[in-house]
Amino acid sequence: MIDTLKKTSLEFFHKQGYPTKKLENWKFTSSKNFKKFSKKEISDISIANISTDETTLLFINGKLCLNTFKNFRYRDNIEINELANIEEKAILTFSDTFMNDAMFNLGMSEFDGGHYIKFKKQTNVEDPIKIVNLFKNDTSDRRIVSFNIFHFEEGSQISIIEKDINEGAPSFNLKMNKFICDNASNLNFAKYVEGKSDCHLLSYSYYKVGKDVCLNMDSMNKDAIFSKEFIEIDLNNTGSDAKVNILNLVKDEQHLDNNILINHNAEHCTSFQHVRNILDNKSSTVFNGKVIVAEGAQQTDSNQSNKNLLLSLNSTAFSNPQLEIYADDVSCGHGSTTGALDENSIFYLRARGIDQGSAQKMLIKAFAKEVIDEFSLSSVQDISEIALDRWIDG
Amino acid sequence: MIKIENLKASIDDKDILKGINLDIPAGEVHVIMGRNGSGKSTLANVIAGNETYEVDGGNITMEDTDITEMSIENRALEGIFLCFQYPVAIPGVSMAYFLRSALNAHRKYQGKEEMDALEFLNKAKAILSELGLDDSFLKRSINDGFSGGEKKKSEILQLLTIDPKLAVLDETDSGLDVDALRTVAKGVNKFKNENNSVLIITHYQRLLDYIKPDVVHLMIDGQIVKTGDMSLVEKVEKDGYSWLEK
Repeated sequence: MIDTLKKTSLEFFHKQGYPTKKLENWKFTSSKNFKKFSKKEISDISIANISTDETTLLFINGKLCLNTFKNFRYRDNIEINELANIEEKAILTFSDTFMNDAMFNLGMSEFDGGHYIKFKKQTNVEDPIKIVNLFKNDTSDRRIVSFNIFHFEEGSQISIIEKDINEGAPSFNLKMNKFICDNASNLNFAKYVEGKSDCHLLSYSYYKVGKDVCLNMDSMNKDAIFSKEFIEIDLNNTGSDAKVNILNLVKDEQHLDNNILINHNAEHCTSFQHVRNILDNKSSTVFNGKVIVAEGAQQTDSNQSNKNLLLSLNSTAFSNPQLEIYADDVSCGHGSTTGALDENSIFYLRARGIDQGSAQKMLIKAFAKEVIDEFSLSSVQDISEIALDRWIDG
Repeated sequence: MIKIENLKASIDDKDILKGINLDIPAGEVHVIMGRNGSGKSTLANVIAGNETYEVDGGNITMEDTDITEMSIENRALEGIFLCFQYPVAIPGVSMAYFLRSALNAHRKYQGKEEMDALEFLNKAKAILSELGLDDSFLKRSINDGFSGGEKKKSEILQLLTIDPKLAVLDETDSGLDVDALRTVAKGVNKFKNENNSVLIITHYQRLLDYIKPDVVHLMIDGQIVKTGDMSLVEKVEKDGYSWLEK
């Protein structure tokens, strides 16, 4: 199955070529930034300096490190298969949006050695599982492609903190992850990138959500030089709730693009998108958020918010919140604001004896904290607050 | 305490203050009344150092220190406290964090040790209790979601916590019901003593039923045109301001 999928994906990519700015999803992020990278063979990677504990799943250049899995505390709750052994097409395929994206097809045609990781029914994990993605590269202009599927069976309660670590020569990391959330599962998925690097990141995350699922997707990004992230959530059955909270802190010439699509395909589901960007210097961000409420998805409750704080006149925030509603009994809202620090607020704080620099920091932190407070895991809130302080003091 | 001499200020090239002279000694409560647009709030903002306004002439002296060119925060640290007419809401910054930061900025400026969290909480809770506010007030974001009365009580909480030398109350009584008005007045009366001063800017007599002023000033078109005692307030209540223009 995999070979067929790879072949059709490669044909698709050859036919379409690199995406152009004429495409809505690629309007503000040029794919030419990815063109200089190519697939190259990778020699064996030493992991001597990576310490893992019993709650960590280590992926090296996108491949699960089976050596460290032996010590994994929850290994009895997990079934692992190589994607090459998966014959069921429905498991391997993503949404139509992704399957019709040229870069996604390039990734599908090139990935090597991905895994299908299934958390068994009713698995309840006390401590968050840490997924460490080590991208280690020894040559320039390499494209590293990864594809993994995480399946959470009925009733499982899982928290995951995913961390990307980039080491060595700058690479282009093309990540494709699929998350299957069966009925009554609860997934808290938080992620962040550690360590500034010249790596380029393009990621596709697809969440297929069943009935009565609670999904929280939290992300804080301050270190990616150039990143474009597609998130698509299919709410396919009743009573599910999906929250996406993202904080991006960018400066210099960083460019971060969040492309989020939530499909309400069933009644009585709720969704919430909350994306905040803080931009300094010549940085830029893109928020391309969309909610589609299908015909019959009555009693949908959806909210979408994008707020951008510009600390420099040279920074640029593109914001494109969209709603498409085909049902008539729904509550959907969306909003977007972009602006500098409020002068009246700065005056108010200074009039209490707080110096200008501290007043500005206080307001930046307050702006960020509103989304950090929404993160589902307290440990991620703590990490984010420390990272925020460092970024501000930067 | 504060001495203002021939103060002139403008905004967007429009002259607002046209030569204000005002001397408020320690231990006194002064009131400025005037029509809308007479420059009362501009005066309060210029005293606090609001950079929206351009000072075109004159000077402001605080206890022999010329503060005319001083930054907003340094004026505050020198002892000026502006009770805002429209306090700004700042979501994401808790009252406790803000108040403690402000208090410790003052203590540091005065060469004192910073107050630790426990000591600060005890101090703040005692003031909250006097203002009839719940301790949970400290956990809320600055003025965010506050009612009109709560916003003004928040200003008084800040006043009593920081304990400045000069309190400038810019229409603090506007939009308050009787109970909130009494609470605000109680706070101001608790604050005032022989070592500090209060400048009240208001349209109405009702706050002055609770806080007795020593001196009353009437302001028209950017100038103080009449100074006297409480009888001026009664005349303004009865006759308005037109008699001053004759």
